Amino acid sequence: MGLEEKLPDEGFVTTTLEKAINWGRKYSIFPLTFGLACCAIEQIAAGGSRFDIARFGSEVFRASPRQADLLIVSGRVSQKMAPVIKRIYDQMLEPKWVIAMGICASAGGPFNNYAIVQGVDKILPVDVYIPGCPPRPESLLYGLTLLQQKIQHERLRDRRYGQRSEAARPLRETVASPKDAKVAEPAVRYEPKAR
Amino acid sequence: MIETTQAQAAGATPAAPLQNTPLTDTGIAALAAEKIRARLPDAILGTYTYRGETTLTIRPQDLLNVARLLREDAELSFRHLANVTSVDWSKYPGYSARERFTTVYQLLSTNSWRRISLKVPAPGGDSPVVPSLTSLWPGADWPEREVYDLMGVRFDGHPDLRRIMMPHSWPNHPLRKELPRGGERVPFSMTWEDEEFESFGKQIIEARAVQQVPPKQADANKHMILNMGPHHPSTHGVLRVIVELDGETVVAAYPDLGYLHSGFEKQGETIRYKDFLPYTDRSDYLSSMCNNLCYSLAVEKLMGVEIPPRAQMLRVILCELQRISSHLLWMGTHIMDAAGMSHAMLMYAFREREQLLDIFELVSGARLTTSYIRPGGVWRDVPPSFAERVGDVLRTFPAKFDEYEKFMNDNPVWRARTEGVGKLTAQQCLDLCITGPMARASGIPMDYRKIRPYSGYENFDFKVPMATEGDTFARYIVRLEEMRQSLRIVEQGMKNLPDGPVWSADRKMVPPPRQELDVSMEAVIHHFKLWTEGMTPPKGEIYECGESPRGEEGFYLVSDGSAIPYRLRFRTPSFHNLQALNTMSKGRLVADLVVNIGSVDIVLGDVDR
Ligand code: SF4
Repeated sequence: MGLEEKLPDEGFVTTTLEKAINWGRKYSIFPLTFGLACCAIEQIAAGGSRFDIARFGSEVFRASPRQADLLIVSGRVSQKMAPVIKRIYDQMLEPKWVIAMGICASAGGPFNNYAIVQGVDKILPVDVYIPGCPPRPESLLYGLTLLQQKIQHERLRDRRYGQRSEAARPLRETVASPKDAKVAEPAVRYEPKAR
Repeated sequence: MIETTQAQAAGATPAAPLQNTPLTDTGIAALAAEKIRARLPDAILGTYTYRGETTLTIRPQDLLNVARLLREDAELSFRHLANVTSVDWSKYPGYSARERFTTVYQLLSTNSWRRISLKVPAPGGDSPVVPSLTSLWPGADWPEREVYDLMGVRFDGHPDLRRIMMPHSWPNHPLRKELPRGGERVPFSMTWEDEEFESFGKQIIEARAVQQVPPKQADANKHMILNMGPHHPSTHGVLRVIVELDGETVVAAYPDLGYLHSGFEKQGETIRYKDFLPYTDRSDYLSSMCNNLCYSLAVEKLMGVEIPPRAQMLRVILCELQRISSHLLWMGTHIMDAAGMSHAMLMYAFREREQLLDIFELVSGARLTTSYIRPGGVWRDVPPSFAERVGDVLRTFPAKFDEYEKFMNDNPVWRARTEGVGKLTAQQCLDLCITGPMARASGIPMDYRKIRPYSGYENFDFKVPMATEGDTFARYIVRLEEMRQSLRIVEQGMKNLPDGPVWSADRKMVPPPRQELDVSMEAVIHHFKLWTEGMTPPKGEIYECGESPRGEEGFYLVSDGSAIPYRLRFRTPSFHNLQALNTMSKGRLVADLVVNIGSVDIVLGDVDR
């Protein structure tokens, strides 16, 4: 069908290790069974028969963070829940990815008030943001394919244990108190605004 | 073996009390006031009647006696405590004369299904104290804790007064009027040099380990303390339950809430009436239509506006479809939790549910967060293909429900896990303020569509499914039967759907149509007023509720005459129903706890708000 037809009768195929591993990783992302609010219902729907997330190799929802690769933050993150999410994220093993599903997880959404953290990216690095309130299951699937693209182009080096939590955080990284937090060099240097 | 009394009990019409409703709300309140005066001459400080409902202001020291009298008097029998809340009057126009905080209680008579409200001015200025009602209604426990947490009113005699929604270290009581809504500007792009970067993320509380301390009633020396959640696959969201175990037997289960607390009430008190509507979709996200309807009813009652018949009928049809979709999701997830039959039932339920979501999408453009039913009418008239789609549902669903019923009732695993599990008696339901299918499965015929019909429900012929066993299996039977009854309502609604406008003609609330703007100066003014200022209800307080798939969904609104609600209280069924978890699980195995959580049918957005 695919690869088999293209193989020479004898011989071998060359590729880089990185490509081969990433290719394997991207088609078997196990999401964590984790839902927060309304968006979680659409997340379940994406796993249902109509949208069928299995087409993208991600139907195996794992209940334990130790077995999961992908944290889909599906809903609003409250002040009380934020430490819990952080802890769940910390419990996941590398390689791990995060999707912020919906506007609440991305930026607080309609709930700009005392109770809600304005975007989960204040406590974890996010790989893909999905807009919508809630995003349709198709959007989630599209987000997943974007993540797959991203994974395909990743460098294995960046996935060393502890690497990401220390150094390769995105620009928006913050911890409990930003004053004494060491802010690492961002991967992309942003030019300062002219004042 | 399959023929059970439950199956027979299901579908029975509720018993006699429904018929004897000779009095109006004000009538029964006058009677109650008379009885109170006879027994406690100084208890009533004032009477306030607005939009057909009466509020009695009670002296704080007499609250317990008055409540006991209202509850125990055979004629009145106000045995359902519907709502406990409080108001901070400090920013209300003309405040000075009153006590700053007032607690408010809504009671429903289980005899005549009439409602009365009690108001208690809390003495103590900024640190108010009122007597607790927990000795009469154990179910007042959580609502009072919520009032304490968010408003800072202390309840004298409450057994366990601590925060319920916010983290224990939270510095203030967020619903107090002097506090701003909070939140922050969300920068969508930022550089290191931006000044805001300094303050960025300050809002985050420290990512400490989740507090492990069991509640003070738990005996950690004798029993094992097990933490379940807030991330647990069978808690249906972010619920945390601290379980005290003796071996595998549950000694007590203490739910810990607030992991999805989103500040709905504070948010509602800072935006206009119209703008709060989309939030109601997002509290109980499985029944957005019903929430929309309850909120719209409350605002319409506050404004005193009538809704045209077509809009009313459409509201009923869509709410019933929503009820089916909500129950389907409940069935799928609950059965998956309990009987572990892989995903079969969930997949079936989702297949059917998608059909309903397509209808919602057709009428409103959204699958979950519909915002279709709005104060003043419905968003738009339904498109022509609506009738056909609903027709499909009406044609295909009955056979599917029969199939499910056969599938489930013949399943020995399902029956073994649900029959006799999580029992609640009718008295316990009343004590714990439980409403909805849970109460009906224990034999309380409380369904607001029947007992206090709204939006034209009185014109429909349907039964309120009831059972008396009060166990998990009975609740399943009741919900299954409710879906069938909902189909009947939808069918009648589609048959009798009248023509006409879908918006009220009241220009205080609904903007005039475009063509009118060209010809009428008055219309232009209304239009301008509505879009710049919003609707401005007269000063007043009301409570209005409806029957959501989970129970009584109520709104308590206080208007100060401006376009923004002065106080918005959201009484949600899941929050009150979840209180039963401890009673249901005590003395059973820890495995039954999972079944019980599912059987309460909670939506955490609805619990925590
Ligand atoms: S983004 Fe919208 S749908 Fe998703 S959790 Fe937030 S409010 Fe709910």
